[in-house]
Amino acid sequence: NCSGVAVDNGGSNDVQWCFSQVKGAIDDDVAEADIISTVEFNHSGELLATGDKGGRVVIFQQEMENKSQPQCRSEYNVYSTFQSHEPEFDYLKSLEIEEKINKIRWLPQKNAAQFLLSTNDKTIKLWKISERDKRPEGYNLKEEDGRYIDPNTVTALRVPVFRPMDLMVEASPRRVFANAHTYHINSISINSDHETYLSADDLRINLWHQEITDRSFNIVDIKPANMEELTEVITAAEFHPHQCNTFVYSSSKGTIRLCDMRASALCDTHSKLFEEPEDPSNRSFFSEIISSISDVKFSHNGRYMMTRDYLSVKIWDLNMESRPVETYQVHEYLRNKLCSLYENDCIFDKFECCWNGNDSVVMTGSYNNFFRMFDRGQRRDVTLEASREGSKPQQVLKPRKVCADGKRKKDEISVDSLDFNKKILHTAWHPQDNVIAVATTNNLYIFQDKVN
Amino acid sequence: MRYMVGRGVKRKLSDCEDQMLDLPYPQQRQLVLNLCLDKLQSCQRRAEPSLHRSVLLANTLRQIQQEMRQEGGPPAPATPHHSPDLPPVPSDRPSTPVAALSSSLLCEDDVQSTCTELPKGPGSEDGGKSQDLLFGSFEITNSTSYLTDLQLDDIFEDIDTSMYDPSDFSVLACPPPRGSSGASLGNDYNLKAFSTSSSTLQMCLNDLDHIMEILVRS
Repeated sequence: NCSGVAVDNGGSNDVQWCFSQVKGAIDDDVAEADIISTVEFNHSGELLATGDKGGRVVIFQQEMENKSQPQCRSEYNVYSTFQSHEPEFDYLKSLEIEEKINKIRWLPQKNAAQFLLSTNDKTIKLWKISERDKRPEGYNLKEEDGRYIDPNTVTALRVPVFRPMDLMVEASPRRVFANAHTYHINSISINSDHETYLSADDLRINLWHQEITDRSFNIVDIKPANMEELTEVITAAEFHPHQCNTFVYSSSKGTIRLCDMRASALCDTHSKLFEEPEDPSNRSFFSEIISSISDVKFSHNGRYMMTRDYLSVKIWDLNMESRPVETYQVHEYLRNKLCSLYENDCIFDKFECCWNGNDSVVMTGSYNNFFRMFDRGQRRDVTLEASREGSKPQQVLKPRKVCADGKRKKDEISVDSLDFNKKILHTAWHPQDNVIAVATTNNLYIFQDKVN
Repeated sequence: MRYMVGRGVKRKLSDCEDQMLDLPYPQQRQLVLNLCLDKLQSCQRRAEPSLHRSVLLANTLRQIQQEMRQEGGPPAPATPHHSPDLPPVPSDRPSTPVAALSSSLLCEDDVQSTCTELPKGPGSEDGGKSQDLLFGSFEITNSTSYLTDLQLDDIFEDIDTSMYDPSDFSVLACPPPRGSSGASLGNDYNLKAFSTSSSTLQMCLNDLDHIMEILVRS
C-alpha cells in the first residue's frame, strides 16, 4: 500500500493519482480568513487537520473502510471545527497579532483522546479533541430535561446508566504556551521523547515540556547584540524523529544546522553545518533570496532530511554536510523570471515539502495550482494540478507540463500563462497510504492512488 | 472583515524581465535597487512586518551597495524615480529608517546633492543605525498579557519602602474608610495596608491612577 507498488495498467510502474475529494468554497472570491495556512495528518492518518488565516482549525476524519465499495478508499469528513486563536492587539506597538495558524502538529496518541499543538505568531496551544457518544440517564432526582424531582415523590431508586447518544466531538484548550517568543513563530516540532517540543521564531528556538506552560528553555539564540549586524534569520526547525537530543534548523541564507542538546544547554554552536556552495554560473541579485530555505523535514527513517528553497528541493544525507545527495528542480523555468517574481513578491513565497510513508517519494507545491512529486528510486517526477476541472470522482489526474521556451506543444502551458495567484504552499502525505492532501488558496484537495 | 483576495483575476508575470534584458548591467542593478528600496519602505508600513523579508531585502541592498562602492568611478546618478519622493533630509536623524537608508545611499553617490551627511554608528555600514530601527520594531511585546501574568506582588517587590513610615504611606495612598477616626488606624490597619493582599494593592493602584489622571489633565 505504499508508493512504488506496480499497478496493473499496461506495465507502467507509476502510481496513478485520482481525485477523491475537495473541501472549501467553490467561488473565486476568496475570503481572507478562509486561506489555508497549514495541513497535517496525524500519526495514523485517520485524522487530517487544517489551519487557516482566521485562526480556525478543521479536523477531518477518515471513515472506516467501506466494504461495499472496494474501489475507493474511505472519505474524509468533517470531524471537528474550532477557533484555535483569536487576533490580539499589541498596544505598545499598535500592531495586531495575527490569528493565522502557522503550524499544527499532532501528538502521538496515548489514550482515547487526540491532542494537537497549534500555533500562531506568538502563542502555542495544546488542544484536546475527545469524543462523547454516551450520556448518563436515569437519575433519581433529576428529570431528563434537567428539572429537579421532589425527593418526597420518589418511591423507588434506580441506578443511572450510560446510554448511547449522537457522537459529539469536543475540542478544549488544555495548555496555553505564551509569552516566550518576541519574534514570529515559524515552527513547532514534537520530540520523540513524547515529553518535550520545540518552537522556533525568526531568531530563537525554545524547548518546552508539554505539561509546563510558565517556562521554556532557550536552546538557540541567533539575535546579535547589535541588531544592525542581523543578516540571517531562522526559517524552520524540526526534531529528529528518533534521536530525542537532535534537532535541525534552517536559515534564510540556505544553511541547515544540526544541533545536539547533550553538547550544551545553549545550542548556539552546531554539531553539523549543511551548506552547498553556490553555483557561480547562476549568480544573480536574487541568489540569496532564492537560497532561503522555506521548509526542512526529516525522512521517516531519520537518515535524511529534505529542504525546500525557492526553486528546488534538496535531499541531504545527515552524514554529509558538504552538499545534498539529491537535488530536484521544482520549476526551473522561473529562473529567468526572478526579477518579475521579485517585483510581485512571489519570490518570498514559502513552499513546504513532505515525504511519503516509506521515504521513496517527495512532494512540494508550485504555482498555477500545480504540485510536483519526485520519485527518488525511479528518478522520475510528475507535475499534477489541483483544480475543479479535474474533480470528477475517481478521475485520474493528467500529468501537466510547462513549456519554458516558445515552442509550446499541445496540452502544455507556457510560463507566461501561469497564474501566480494560485499557489500551493502546503501539502501533506498520509503516513502509510498513498493519500495526499493538497491545499490551494482556500480549498483542500484529497487525492488517492487508483485502487483496482 | 472580508477581504477579497484575487477576485478570479489571474496574476501574470510582468514584463520586468524584458526590461531587464534590454538594460546594461549598471542599469539592471539600479532597477533592482529601486525595487528594493520600494519594498523596504512598504515593508515598514505594513500591519504585520516580516523580519525575514526585511533581512533579505536589506542584504540585497547591502550587496548592491557594496558592489557599487567597489566599482568606484563615477557614482550612479540618483534616479528621478526616487528623488522627488524622498522627504527632505533634516539636520538630525530622519524620521523613517528607510529614508535614512535611501538618502544615505544617494548622498554617497550624488556628489552634487545638498543633502546632509547622516551620522553613522561606529564602524557601521550606511544606514546602520537606521537598520537598527528597521529591525528593532519587530519584537512582539508581551504588553497585552504582561499585567495579568505577573502577580501584583512582583511589581512592588523591588520598591524600597524602608524610608517611609508605613503609617504615612497608608494614610496617603489608602485613605481610611469614611466614618472612622484617626484613632482607629491601629497597627492592624497599617499592617493590612502594607500586606500584599491584592485587593489592598488594587485600591492603592486605583488611587495612583486617580492622581495620574489629575496630573495629566493639568
